[in-house]
Amino acid sequence: MSAGTQVHANLTEEQVREISEGLDEPDWLLETRLEALEALSGLDMPDVIRTPGRNWTNLHELDFESLVDPLNVAENKDQVGPDEADVLPWSEAVDEHEELLREHFGSVVDPQENYLTALSTALFSTGTVIYVPEGVDAEDVTIRTEQNSRSLFNYTLVVTEESSSVTILERQSTGAEQDEQYYSGIVEVVAGENSSVQYGSLQNLSEEAYNFALKRGDADTYATINWIEVNLGTQLTKSGVSTELNGDSSETQIVGAFYGHNDQHFDLDAKVWHRAEHTTADLVTRGVTDDIARSVYEGVQDVGKDAWDTSSYQRENTLMLSDESEADASPKLIINNHDTEASHSATVGQIDREDLLYMTSRGVDPRAARNMLVEGFFVPVLEEIAVDELRDDLEELVAARLRQRN
Amino acid sequence: MSSEQDHLKETDTEARFEFKKEQNAAVKSDKGLTEEIIRMISEDKDEPDWMLERRLRALKQYQNMPMPTDWPGQPDLSELDVQEIVPYIRPDVDKREGVDDWTELPDEIKDTFDKLGIPEAEKNALSGVGAQYESEIVYQNMQEQWEEKGVIFCNMDEAVREHPELVKEYFMTTCVPPSDNKFAALHGAVWSGGSFVYVPEDVTVEMPVQAYFRMNSEGMGQFEHTLIIAEPGSEVHYIEGCSAPKYGTHNLHSGGVEVFVKEDAHVQYSTVQNWSKNTFNLNTKRAIVEENGTMEWVSGSMGSKATMLYPCSILKGRGATDTHITIAFAGKGQNIDTGAKVYHNAPNTKSTIESKSISKDGGRTNYRGLVHIADGAENSSTAVECDALMFDNESTSDTMPYMEIEESKVDVAHEATVGKIGDEDIFYLQSRGLDDDDAKKMIVAGFIEPITEELPIEYAVELNRLIELEMEGSLG
Repeated sequence: MSAGTQVHANLTEEQVREISEGLDEPDWLLETRLEALEALSGLDMPDVIRTPGRNWTNLHELDFESLVDPLNVAENKDQVGPDEADVLPWSEAVDEHEELLREHFGSVVDPQENYLTALSTALFSTGTVIYVPEGVDAEDVTIRTEQNSRSLFNYTLVVTEESSSVTILERQSTGAEQDEQYYSGIVEVVAGENSSVQYGSLQNLSEEAYNFALKRGDADTYATINWIEVNLGTQLTKSGVSTELNGDSSETQIVGAFYGHNDQHFDLDAKVWHRAEHTTADLVTRGVTDDIARSVYEGVQDVGKDAWDTSSYQRENTLMLSDESEADASPKLIINNHDTEASHSATVGQIDREDLLYMTSRGVDPRAARNMLVEGFFVPVLEEIAVDELRDDLEELVAARLRQRN
Repeated sequence: MSSEQDHLKETDTEARFEFKKEQNAAVKSDKGLTEEIIRMISEDKDEPDWMLERRLRALKQYQNMPMPTDWPGQPDLSELDVQEIVPYIRPDVDKREGVDDWTELPDEIKDTFDKLGIPEAEKNALSGVGAQYESEIVYQNMQEQWEEKGVIFCNMDEAVREHPELVKEYFMTTCVPPSDNKFAALHGAVWSGGSFVYVPEDVTVEMPVQAYFRMNSEGMGQFEHTLIIAEPGSEVHYIEGCSAPKYGTHNLHSGGVEVFVKEDAHVQYSTVQNWSKNTFNLNTKRAIVEENGTMEWVSGSMGSKATMLYPCSILKGRGATDTHITIAFAGKGQNIDTGAKVYHNAPNTKSTIESKSISKDGGRTNYRGLVHIADGAENSSTAVECDALMFDNESTSDTMPYMEIEESKVDVAHEATVGKIGDEDIFYLQSRGLDDDDAKKMIVAGFIEPITEELPIEYAVELNRLIELEMEGSLG
């Protein structure tokens, strides 16, 4: 199916104008939105992996006609941060930081990268801008989004000036539940020289929801961008987390955790582009699939020609708790510079029978033993999560999900 | 020399030259791949109607299939003009006619032969002069030894005539149907030559079956077909030796290999390929492995401009086992895109993939692999290990494994590493008196040792020698 057939008839320029006007946006931003709207018909869905005879994720099954309702938006949002940094709702950011937006909006994620980014650019009505001035350490920036409408398009921009740092914790959940919902979130991170960004995300939307998430960072010299990407909710998630290491000696870490049960489908990718010298990347993802859930993981380490002295590591492990679940994985290495130390590994398996036997033989109830082993499986990822609150939340949610199991 | 000439005459060389003239005329009037040309090939080979029908059906499929051009990072096939494919067969024949003396071979090829230390008789064979003669001898020796046991080893064209019931059943039916991919379809239409191996139940063929000279002995050997049938409990090791550089005139090699490994049978298929550097090497190789059968692929991919080759095992029976050991070397201007495919379709199946690649002087290697574990293939396990060694900043090395896991009671592991040749290692070796080149050669030899260990000694020696020559930059 070509993308052209997916532009639904009820999406109009007037709606886009209305959204932009409601937010009191400058003309250039309205133009960007309109261009994205116009581009829709020529754009494809995000890439998915195809191997002989199968598409790993079928995004064309998304019914935008019925899912997207651009003018009918409802949410609860908390945007909290320390005084030294600006943590602003979109409408205020448009007012206070127009120059910043003009410089960075769409600079990391091309609004017309694919059909879903363009749709998001044209229609987003809520968002957060986080600006951390030079030398400021901003801890505990919290964004909570509770979706109460059929569709919600969210945009986040993070800009850190030289030698600053920020820790951001974002949570998405569903409030007033509807049959099916669509949540789209785009995050752009611009990490200035020697700055550090820690961006944790906990997606716990309703299991009727569809989710498209794209988070990407641009790391300048000596900058660090660390992502924590947790996916628990939705029936279908297509999520991409990536960093472009554009400055010498920049670093990134992408820590992922997911737990799919029922008939959930997670398509998760973690990508890093080494574009400068002495860059370092570490990608760690662990997930569980249960019932008839399916996970699709793509990890890409791309080492460019000029990326001398690169270190790049990737690990992905999936634990399958049921026979009907499915776990597909493709950890890719693209190496164009020989002065590189790179490795990747991926494993899929079930709970180790000997471990289970050991525990039950010590008097642990089989169900409790199994749950402990699943919780234990997540430990290497939990250890990498530097944000305490997110780590605790994840532990609790995994435990709750295990308790639901028969 | 005169006796060699006589032998040449005894074969169907004459007929082929006749055929060449006809084809020339046809090609001039009708460019590209046409039904007439397919009919002509079939007629020249005196084929039964059913084979001609299969060719024509494959041709139709070929014409309706798109070129594979949308794989991430795949070799560029734009220089391969599909419409010119049949005309490319022709220069092969011309060349055979043209080169009737070792001295007329291109220097590049002669040098290589000399450096490889290939004896005179082999040189003649490899240069196409005595190939038919030499290979007939090889075949006859083998036949005498095994005929009593019921082993068949012959030319694929001959198998169509002599063993139609077997060929009818197994040739491009269930293993590699022409519909599999565009080049399998092309192969099905224009295939010519190759080997047919049949090993009856419980027979073990102790020495490797070699088709070292086969490739050059066929005028259209660029589309050779290999069909191996190993009946229950049998064992055979087949070695395809395209281990010498070929003429520079070829542009496309599209072979087909089908292996049937029955219950408890064991087949090893080894190949060391070193095509000339303007060859597109696009093959389909596949094995169907029944209960407790074992399939082993050992391959070294050295030459070619671009290679796309992913030997595949379908583990169909309970307890079936697959082993892949591959090595790829890409030098200047080369793009070697190779890997392994394994489908685990039954319980207790096991696969091991070990892939090594070396890239140098702008060469590009890619490991592209697919491991599929079907729902119900419980207690299956797979281990994939890829290591890449890069020499310089002009070179590229990618690893793209795909793992599709539909069954939980499995053990799946993939690991890959990429690195440059360690400065420390070189420094160590240099400090022990080796020069830079020798140190590098030694490190590479150590790197590929797991592969060479699996090959019979003469192939291992040759593979090592080829790699050394590549490293010296003195090949092609």
